[in-house]
Amino acid sequence: MASVPVTMLLATWLPRAASTATKGVDAPFQALYVVSAFAVILVVGLAVAFVRLFGRRDAEQKGEAGTGFSRLLFGLWVLAAAALAVFAVAIGLPGYLDQSVPPYEAFPVGVTARTGAFSFEYPGGNFADTLHAAVGRPVVLNMESTDVVHGLSIPALRLHQAITPGKTSRAWFTATVADTFPLQDDLFSGDSLLVARTALVVQNQADYDQWLQSIADIFAGRTLPEVGELLYSRMGCKACHTINGARLVGPSFKGVYGHEAKLRDGTTVAVDDDYIRESILYPNKKVVEGYEPVMTPFLGKLNDKEIGAITEWLKTLSDHGGTGDGAAAADTTGGSRKEK
Amino acid sequence: MSNGGTASAGSYLTASDAAGAWFGARDHKRVGMMYLGWTMGVLLLGLLFQILLAVKALGGMGADPALIFRTITYQRLLLVFLFLAPVIPVTLGYFLLPLQIGARNMALPGWSIWSLRLYVGGLVLLLGSYVLNAVACGWTLATPLSLTAPGAFPLLAAGLALVGLSWLLTGSNFLLTVHTKRRAGMGFFKLPLMVWGLYLGSYLLAAMGILLAVIVGYLAAGRAAGHGPFGPDSDPLSWLGYFWFVTRPAAYFALIPAVGMIFAVVEGVSRKPVPGYRWVVGALIALLAVGVSTWGIHLGPWGQAPEVTFVFSVLSVLVVIPAAILAYFILATLYRGAVACAAPTTFTVAFLLHAGIAVAIALFLGSPAPGAYLGATMFATAQLNYILWGGVLSALLAGLNFWWPKMTGHEVSQTVGRVGGILYLLGVNLMLVPQLILGARGVPADMGPFAEDSLGLGEVSGLGMLLLFFGLVTVAANFIGSVNCDRPVPDNPWGAEGLEWTVASPPPPGNFD
Repeated sequence: MASVPVTMLLATWLPRAASTATKGVDAPFQALYVVSAFAVILVVGLAVAFVRLFGRRDAEQKGEAGTGFSRLLFGLWVLAAAALAVFAVAIGLPGYLDQSVPPYEAFPVGVTARTGAFSFEYPGGNFADTLHAAVGRPVVLNMESTDVVHGLSIPALRLHQAITPGKTSRAWFTATVADTFPLQDDLFSGDSLLVARTALVVQNQADYDQWLQSIADIFAGRTLPEVGELLYSRMGCKACHTINGARLVGPSFKGVYGHEAKLRDGTTVAVDDDYIRESILYPNKKVVEGYEPVMTPFLGKLNDKEIGAITEWLKTLSDHGGTGDGAAAADTTGGSRKEK
Repeated sequence: MSNGGTASAGSYLTASDAAGAWFGARDHKRVGMMYLGWTMGVLLLGLLFQILLAVKALGGMGADPALIFRTITYQRLLLVFLFLAPVIPVTLGYFLLPLQIGARNMALPGWSIWSLRLYVGGLVLLLGSYVLNAVACGWTLATPLSLTAPGAFPLLAAGLALVGLSWLLTGSNFLLTVHTKRRAGMGFFKLPLMVWGLYLGSYLLAAMGILLAVIVGYLAAGRAAGHGPFGPDSDPLSWLGYFWFVTRPAAYFALIPAVGMIFAVVEGVSRKPVPGYRWVVGALIALLAVGVSTWGIHLGPWGQAPEVTFVFSVLSVLVVIPAAILAYFILATLYRGAVACAAPTTFTVAFLLHAGIAVAIALFLGSPAPGAYLGATMFATAQLNYILWGGVLSALLAGLNFWWPKMTGHEVSQTVGRVGGILYLLGVNLMLVPQLILGARGVPADMGPFAEDSLGLGEVSGLGMLLLFFGLVTVAANFIGSVNCDRPVPDNPWGAEGLEWTVASPPPPGNFD
């Protein structure tokens, strides 16, 4: 609390800067802060002064009609206002132009925004749920949305970019500070449970290269359920599906494997390897009762081995999952049947 | 008549006291007083929602995020469309416009009362939608979310459409009244500045009112039928473009009637005519021009082409020029005036501060690089809040304190009014400066309750809100308490110019009869 007045006075309103582009925003911000604070204080100060100086002294007193207009003063006043308008545009222009064209050598990262999650695609088709960048190396973000309009916001980079479905939106930055910074979806998407929040991780080149290696082969050094759990968080599944039984946009994964699910059309289906595979690749074919067909298909985004890993992990969340032997579980359920 | 002034034959308040006489009132003064009650109800509701949100945000009540988002959506819709945009025309505007131009009534007295009925109908539908099944789609109703978010959307859309039609009736009634009902010899350049503000603002209310009704109709149709100009296949910028084309002028430039009224108050309290009448009229017209040509500044954060956003940036910073001219002449009217140390003066200073900050924020948002960063943050929301809680509300309170004796025949305590004004001024800024800082730190618009806030700014803001609330309670208590004081009020307690001061306080039903 004590730091608040200090924050106001020093005009250090902006968060810690972490890219080369921040100067293009911060310098105009500080300049406008000083100039507009001066203008507002001047106007209000004069008003208070006039109220005190020209206070009514007796009940019959009238104001001096016709005073207060000086052609020279008024001209200067309007000129100053016009200059302020030109100044505001001019000072903010270089940073704006600088942001509009990414350098051609920039390192490309694909961004997919969906309600509740971002996923980031690095060269070689490797995904992660955090945005990583190396210090000093320009990164260009090629962004797409699978559902509604989203916004990528990274305050430390002074970056906001809308991501509209059906278009590729671009933004770029060169990070300057190795640290972790907040990153979130900043366009209102209706339900805060689904506001995607993750991080920008800026690393030194060596650490960054090592990290890129580590995501390249997610199966190395991990059991299948561990890979499944990793994909659950990386691919954004966790935005809509909990593992504790709580209900979000989609059903929880807790204890579903090996049980029967009632569908919207009234039929039931056994939750087995086949159903899980189909629900990942064509999610809106067989939707569980009480839920809307709103999930994004993952066809082409997950391969068979990865789907297998997810299935193995789902088994560990269920008392019907057995020991991880998918064939045994499938035998016990015996396919789907009509209820009515 | 216990409160009789010079003409005690019967005021508009007591002329015919049957309940139906108010319900079906054709007298502009009664319509204005009823509107005052309803708009103050909406303001109170908005404030209660805000306090609810603050309490939730502090985490005291096991915040349910979905409920918070729904509440933000409806709070904004109510405050922007039922308070901010229409409040000055429908309260003091209805009451004073015929009086100030020397007319007995509005040109279309039936439309006055029908605009109120539509307004109340819209309010009931909106609240019904909130209570039955609130839609969590954000107050800008951005597509495609507003097409899919579950809830009682048809009620919400019908409510907004009725409110839009109510604006249309009010706006066109005002325009017609100014054109046809002026006293003989009163040319356009002899109109009081408040009338100019109302007249120019009426173009916005009429045009944007009908457009609001049409676009929410199309949106609801798109939601129901699955296609249409704002249907699921449409570009999201298409809806937002129309939405802001309506909302930017009607809401942000509700400052036009507000500043017109401030001029009337300043001329009255300093007993001096403004020294540059035609400059002020010109600046008001320029403000109108900026108002209708800057909607695209709101589309920048939503993915509009940067070149287009740049054009709107340039247009929107031009607001500083008419604003500077208006500020100059407010100061010039105080200069060498005989300024009364009274509540309207305090609220006039508050207006200058708040409108000044709102214009300063326009510079930040219009400056290309800072604007691109700040446009989607609370910094931008804080501008609307400064116009709503700051500019328009302080003008309204200045006006109410100034004309209350005329409206009711009772005098309020200037000391209590000034104390309330200072509490209000401190409260508004303590509430909103933290919002500006949070916005600059990157907190997205409308997500305040979920912001990470290591500085404790949310608590400071909540404290400001309480102070604002106490300020408003003080002012309201002063008004309500005044009714018990039976001291007769003279026709012209301020010694001000203007036709409304030549009639009794409160005026008789026919004003000048």
